Amino acid sequence: MIKEQILRFGRRFSCPQEWKSRSYWRETGTAYLYILPAFAILSVFVFYPFFSAFRLSTYKWTPLASTFNGWRNYQYIFQDKYFWRALWRTFYYVGINVPITLFLALLVASLLNKKLRFLAFARTSYFLAYITPVVAVTMVWQWLYNWQYGLLNYFLGWFGVSLTNWLGDKRFALPAVIIMSIWRFVGYEAIILLAGLQGIDKMYYEAARIDGASGFQIWKKVTIPLLTPQIFFVFVISLIGSFKVFTEIYVLFNGTPGPLKSAETLVYYIMRQGFFGTQHLGRAAAASVVLFGIIFVFTLFQLQITQKRVHYQ
Amino acid sequence: MVVFLFGLVAVAEGPVTISFWHAMSSGHQPNLQKLADDFMAEYPDVIVELSYQGGYGDLQQKINAAVVAGNPPTIAQVYENWVTPIVDILYPVGPYMTEEERGDIIDGLVRSNTYNGVLTTVPFNKSIMVLYYRKDLVPIPPTDWQEYLDMSKDLTVDSDGDGTIDQFGTGFRPAANPELFLNFLEEAGGSILSEDWSKVTINNSKGLQAMEYAASLAPYSLITSEYMSNAFQANQVCMFIDTSAGYYYNNQAAEAAGCEMDVARVPMGPVNQKSMIQGTNLAVFDMNQTQAQKDAGVLLARFLLRAENTVYWAEKGGYQPVTKSAYESEEWENWVATHEYQQAMSAQMLDGFSQILHPNYGDIRYVIATAFEEVMLAEATALEGLASAALEIEDLLE
Repeated sequence: MIKEQILRFGRRFSCPQEWKSRSYWRETGTAYLYILPAFAILSVFVFYPFFSAFRLSTYKWTPLASTFNGWRNYQYIFQDKYFWRALWRTFYYVGINVPITLFLALLVASLLNKKLRFLAFARTSYFLAYITPVVAVTMVWQWLYNWQYGLLNYFLGWFGVSLTNWLGDKRFALPAVIIMSIWRFVGYEAIILLAGLQGIDKMYYEAARIDGASGFQIWKKVTIPLLTPQIFFVFVISLIGSFKVFTEIYVLFNGTPGPLKSAETLVYYIMRQGFFGTQHLGRAAAASVVLFGIIFVFTLFQLQITQKRVHYQ
Repeated sequence: MVVFLFGLVAVAEGPVTISFWHAMSSGHQPNLQKLADDFMAEYPDVIVELSYQGGYGDLQQKINAAVVAGNPPTIAQVYENWVTPIVDILYPVGPYMTEEERGDIIDGLVRSNTYNGVLTTVPFNKSIMVLYYRKDLVPIPPTDWQEYLDMSKDLTVDSDGDGTIDQFGTGFRPAANPELFLNFLEEAGGSILSEDWSKVTINNSKGLQAMEYAASLAPYSLITSEYMSNAFQANQVCMFIDTSAGYYYNNQAAEAAGCEMDVARVPMGPVNQKSMIQGTNLAVFDMNQTQAQKDAGVLLARFLLRAENTVYWAEKGGYQPVTKSAYESEEWENWVATHEYQQAMSAQMLDGFSQILHPNYGDIRYVIATAFEEVMLAEATALEGLASAALEIEDLLE
């Protein structure tokens, strides 16, 4: 019995047949050569920093003598009320920002897919918001949000809404960031979805129409299922991007995380711990590892869904 | 003297190149280059390579990264709390200065550059808190706390009667600039910590007096994260306390708003009239540097402290001179005579105070900023804000 087990175990590690051929090794070698440049660059700029962040998260960092700290950095952040608040705000931001942006992008993409006048102009305008540097865009929004002279309050005034202190009131600070982010990313997501829409073969629509499907039925049963690869891509990208929101907040609130830290998200928390006046790189690294874990779990979850729900033509 | 001569000899052995890392943006760079050129003309065997590293945050990160890599510059601009973790690898400048040179530095700045009893760094670009005010609305600036409060109250108006204040008497940026509270604290005779840093004193009666005073100003203050110059330009604030380094921007804002601005001393507190000095110092590094480089770094630091140079730097850059002889110099007296706003700034420098040199000052400052903001936005009373701050600071002392 034991002998059989050992033999079975040994077979698992025995040399596969193809390993014995020289052509196999030549092909494999060539393949590795092709990926070597990218792998080398990724090693320096991604893999090494990635593992070193893990390592750093277990150290008390000082410029001269960092010391091993075990799990203390994790203990600290898990006991820090600002960490939990930042985490909650990040989920709040992601939970509102991602679905609304995606829904609006679908709407815009469907509109742009019609034969409109000035279509190229409309597409460019939507994309402009995305390609303009985030700092420049945010500074313009800072003025739009100005409680006394901002255009937003001016327009809201037409509907009898009293002056809202968008950037100075803790209730509105994060919503202000969300509104700006939605505006910024709708165009980008819409362009990707539009490409998907235009790639759907007309024959599916014709077949559906022949079968007497209504417009909504066609949209639900043909367009959406065949658009799922693009929807999935946009969803993953915007989810990961939203978890990492930082620059907009930093610029919008002039280097602070909003009134009473009301817009302090996880990446802002990481930056504050590590770089803004305090030098707790270990704690910052620990919070980064937690953020990585969250994004990793979400991505795995999404991959599961993809396998079940994404339809390729 | 022997050390001084040794320095000269070491430098005279051959050309030596030193790197000077700074965070002086383009407007200041020609002035810094001119000073470096003057230095190189006097010491032809030294080549000074000025190297702009970005903003102060970037500079700190780059210095830290360079220290970890074992390759820092010869000399760099540093804030006090950057120095505490790396003081062991700095080459102290003080011991290589003459008694006269050391005694010439403003007393408050000697204290803030002295680590473990040794004058390690020397002051460089210094600014001080002053009161900016609109001359049309504030004919005579407030001189003490009570006047400041009364005038702030009188100047706060809802001009269109819509229930929203259109013009505030004053303004604060509590999260970004907790130094304003520290200024009140000092003027109330309080402190963050006891002399020996063993006890938290921020929440004693003096601290409470300072925070309660700040809270009493809150209803008449614009609380924002933006630079006050924006609100000044939009006619939203009439006066505010800010660093003298912002003079140029604040004045520009006042001009854009079509009004005249002036500068006064910060209003006097119940115990004294003190103003906080901010800005960086110069550190010479003792890591991966030859003796000749370190000597040249010290020579440059001493050169920049000379009256004519610190006055030049102050005049051109909007900073304050850092030595007593500079304030007594004819050049500076003439400058002040022709630039009235400088009188208030200069008057405060000689007895100004700086940040404490506690190694956890960065964290302590953050805790204070949090409490200050909560109090100013009426999220906490002065007592509550200080009590929670004191608890958190206590943890930082362990």
